[in-house]
Amino acid sequence: MAEATIVKPDLDFVKGVIAAGGESLKKCYQCATCSVVCNVTPDQNPFPRKEMIWAQWGLKDKFKGNPDVWLCQQCNDCTAYCPRGAKPAEVLGAIRKQTIQQYSAPAFLAGLVNNKTFMPVLFLIPAIILLITGGFSIPEGDIVFSNFFPIHTIQFVFTPALLFGLAVGVMGVMKFWKDMKQAAGVTSGDLKGSIIATAKDVISHGKFKDCGVSKDRFLSHFLVFYSFVALAIATGFGVLYIDIFHVMSPFSLFGKGWIVKLFGLAGAAGLLLGVSLMVMNRFKNAAKVGIGSYFDWLLITIIAVVMASGILAYLTRLAGIAGLAYPIYFIHLVFVFSLFVYLPYSKLAHLFYRGTAMCFAKYSGRDKTIDN
Amino acid sequence: MSELETNILVVGGGISGLTAATEAAEAGYNIALLEKTPFLGGRVSRMNKYFPKLCPPACGLEINYRRIKFSSRVTFHTMAEIQDISGQPGSYEVTVRLNPRYVNDKCTGCNACTEVCPVEVLNDMNFGLDKRKAAYISSEQSFPQQYVIDDNACRKGDCSKCSDACKYDAIQLDMKPETMKIKTGSIVLATGWNPYDASKIDNLGFGTSPDIITNVMMERIASQNGPTGGKITRLSDGKEAKRVAFVQCAGSRDENHLAFCSAVCCMASLKQATYVREQYPDSKVYMFYIDIRTPGTAYERFLNKIKDDENVSLIKGKVAKVSEDPATKDIIVEAEDILAGGKVKVNIDLCVLATGMAPTVGEVKLPADVKINENGFMVPGKDQKGIYAVGCVKNPSDVAKSVQEATGAALKAIQTVGRKS
Repeated sequence: MAEATIVKPDLDFVKGVIAAGGESLKKCYQCATCSVVCNVTPDQNPFPRKEMIWAQWGLKDKFKGNPDVWLCQQCNDCTAYCPRGAKPAEVLGAIRKQTIQQYSAPAFLAGLVNNKTFMPVLFLIPAIILLITGGFSIPEGDIVFSNFFPIHTIQFVFTPALLFGLAVGVMGVMKFWKDMKQAAGVTSGDLKGSIIATAKDVISHGKFKDCGVSKDRFLSHFLVFYSFVALAIATGFGVLYIDIFHVMSPFSLFGKGWIVKLFGLAGAAGLLLGVSLMVMNRFKNAAKVGIGSYFDWLLITIIAVVMASGILAYLTRLAGIAGLAYPIYFIHLVFVFSLFVYLPYSKLAHLFYRGTAMCFAKYSGRDKTIDN
Repeated sequence: MSELETNILVVGGGISGLTAATEAAEAGYNIALLEKTPFLGGRVSRMNKYFPKLCPPACGLEINYRRIKFSSRVTFHTMAEIQDISGQPGSYEVTVRLNPRYVNDKCTGCNACTEVCPVEVLNDMNFGLDKRKAAYISSEQSFPQQYVIDDNACRKGDCSKCSDACKYDAIQLDMKPETMKIKTGSIVLATGWNPYDASKIDNLGFGTSPDIITNVMMERIASQNGPTGGKITRLSDGKEAKRVAFVQCAGSRDENHLAFCSAVCCMASLKQATYVREQYPDSKVYMFYIDIRTPGTAYERFLNKIKDDENVSLIKGKVAKVSEDPATKDIIVEAEDILAGGKVKVNIDLCVLATGMAPTVGEVKLPADVKINENGFMVPGKDQKGIYAVGCVKNPSDVAKSVQEATGAALKAIQTVGRKS
């Protein structure tokens, strides 16, 4: 103990973690039950025990380029067995939120998305953008959404929104990758193999099956994930039919462009089931592992509204209730736009950061799965 | 219904109750001592050695038994359960149920009843590690040296082998429970503790292998009069247990089980480490802990002595998984070695779960003004007079502290009685 270590606590970081749902952080007394019951941590320098003390002490720098908080799938096994109710899973969730804020520029947008008081503003911005660009007059005759908000205007507004979201996310993970390499002292590795192995993990959702307490999350996440894939495919075909084949919407299962409708309906049904399961699971496990933070619920809400407004717009259109169909469709557009533009700042950013961290763990040899 | 008038009633015949009773009696007061089980001595009578002196508890108990035996002021009743307490400081009326022993005081301890008894049940004295007869005595040191017939195990009506075999007319199978009223000025509660039920800690594997035991079982295994005759062996195959791991805080300091520190388990495990190390010079002992709590110079010195033994590894990090290797039948304990920074899996012969102290005072029907806290221990109220708590009724305590408190409680009880007279 000859050398003194000077600990420089970053109190704002501690407060940030506590505010973001890690209020139980200070209860941890470092018994390391969490690291042992965790089924997804590596054996060397396991998490989440070390993250708990770093966060308690405000050692913000330790989290710079730390892949471990993202290897956590929030199974909540640690929280269930924690002898002090320190809820390590919730704390790691709160730290992940801090990482998103740290890497997704500009920081003020991340702050806006994660602040409860600004929630109305969050949805007002897209509403105003859409009102300005779309014009919106409720058309006479059969309900056709493209008469209400032209398809090309949608493409004109939504494509940049998505590209913006993706660009911020990609820039964030590039910085994150660099920091991880530096923090781990790793200079080279099997990048291609790591990416393929990560893709396999994501496609199979295999890591979810290691979870104990929140095992049911596999199905809900699987459904939501693949529903979005289906909806993306539907959108892709939609663009193909409208712009190349010049088939105008609405599509029908029994006419040209049926494939768009097929994937669209499958995605809607999957989302309805998946989101319902997600909400139910959260309530079911609330007593033991906590109900989740604003950050969690914001994303669930956005996805739920996208799903519900999408389905209702479809049904009211079929029923011919123009007075409901058009306003609901407008809400749908607002929330889809929000999903795109807030992609790198909301919890949805886990898509970038978790994916990258999983890949880095394989690349650096922390996750041994690609060796065999 | 019999009646008894006394100055002080002591509830519980363990080391705390025995001490309180004898101390108050020797100050000149009349004492009634009640014990729920058939024998006095409580938890201490099942211990192999005391810490930190490593001397046998039997001698301390024996001194107390003698003090009681030759005192005209102590009346004790075994198999006694409190049914009701009413009244106030200075004049309590206590209703007690005396369960039938089926053996009267003509018993000479000749063992003839045990020899002929056809019924075998798990031996509670040894935590079910071996068996005993329905007609039995808990050990050769038991006090009173009077056999008992286990009410739950005895076939009663269709068997009279024991009473036929008894040459002294000591066995009375038609004995009935009795009710007794005790009038007393003060009450000392010394009902002690129960080992925490390890099967509730589902990640520590208790019940999945006979080689995963608790610390109280380890005391019996190490005892000369225990199930293995004092040889520390695996219960599964009888092999010498030379690799032993102690799992600290097995249920204690855990809000899912016992939210408090049980105070004795660290010293108990260090003590038990010496049992293993003395028996097998080539043994290896692991102790996994969150913090080692050994307050005071004597306990600290004891810890340091164990630390110096290079065959004892003290590892900071709580064990959170215990399992049996299906191939080798080894027990595997898993923990994070916090100071080394990695998960460790250790293969061992015997895993000892250092389970804590579950309070028992809640089982006694107490007057409304006695407060029990959220952990199940009695809170000594500021104005609480007349009813006094000792030892593990108040807090998890070791023997030394319990004995000191018992002496203190005896004085408090005397003060209550003295004020009146």
